[in-house]
Amino acid sequence: MHAEPKSNHNAVRNLADDWTPERETALLLDLCEAQLEAAVRDSDQSVDSLVRAFTDLADASRSITELAKQLTVQQSSTANATELNHCAQDISQLINNAVVAFQFYDKLAQRLGHVRHSLTTLALFVCDRTQAQQRGHWEKLLTSLRRLYRTQEERAVFDLVSEGAKAETVRAAVVGDTLHTASGGIELF
Amino acid sequence: MPGIILAVDDSASMRQMVRFTLEHAGYEVVQATDGVEALDYAKTSGVDLVLADVNMPNMDGITLCKELRGLSHYKGIPILMLTTESAPETKSRGKQAGATGWIVKPFNPEQLLATIAKVL
Repeated sequence: MHAEPKSNHNAVRNLADDWTPERETALLLDLCEAQLEAAVRDSDQSVDSLVRAFTDLADASRSITELAKQLTVQQSSTANATELNHCAQDISQLINNAVVAFQFYDKLAQRLGHVRHSLTTLALFVCDRTQAQQRGHWEKLLTSLRRLYRTQEERAVFDLVSEGAKAETVRAAVVGDTLHTASGGIELF
Repeated sequence: MPGIILAVDDSASMRQMVRFTLEHAGYEVVQATDGVEALDYAKTSGVDLVLADVNMPNMDGITLCKELRGLSHYKGIPILMLTTESAPETKSRGKQAGATGWIVKPFNPEQLLATIAKVL
């Protein structure tokens, strides 16, 4: 049995004598980035197991569907066989819906990756007091961070925030986007 | 046999969803985790279609597309980009690089298969 490390969660952390608001801000931004990284790493493993379990289940369901198709004419005219075929069709549709839904994780991981990069960039930026006090440098920072956000939803949120929209407006826009996100578009050149 | 598809994506869950969808439709699927790995494979082997993500480490999908078009045996092969990106300027870069089409994630399995069947 090992001893738990001594820690007092309620203790106030003493700042170093040479603390600065910029350094503390950067520290907290780095902390947020580290928490996100840990969460993504944990989720990667769970989602991987979940996807594997889903594909195995879907494979088994499809095998049942194939077996149902092989019923003899006599067998397939029974009420049970009709019901079995209906179930097979429902399963097939549910599998398709699940394939679309599973792709949420890829999008989530990508969006969190952009947030992590933004936090790290901002942490470095605020530490440089000369840079952080110049309007032009902030404008350059915003431009470079906007370039990072590549989906329309991300850019819409970024633009709303940088135009000074209220938090409720931004939240409403995010919810609206989420509700309208089904499968994406296809364009042949 | 419908054909061999090279699926390129750095996300393991996306690769699994793509492989699952394509294999059930009868395609043989070869997977690569980024552009470099895909290009290495393509230099020595032929496929019937390439399905590639855009944002990947080491080599992105648009660069991969350009590089593949430089290989004699990939000049006429359909290359579909499968990505979360939908910005017109990025699509335009993909088109200039030689992509055959652009599919925005998340993909619908039936639509993906219909698109592949159309370009093959």
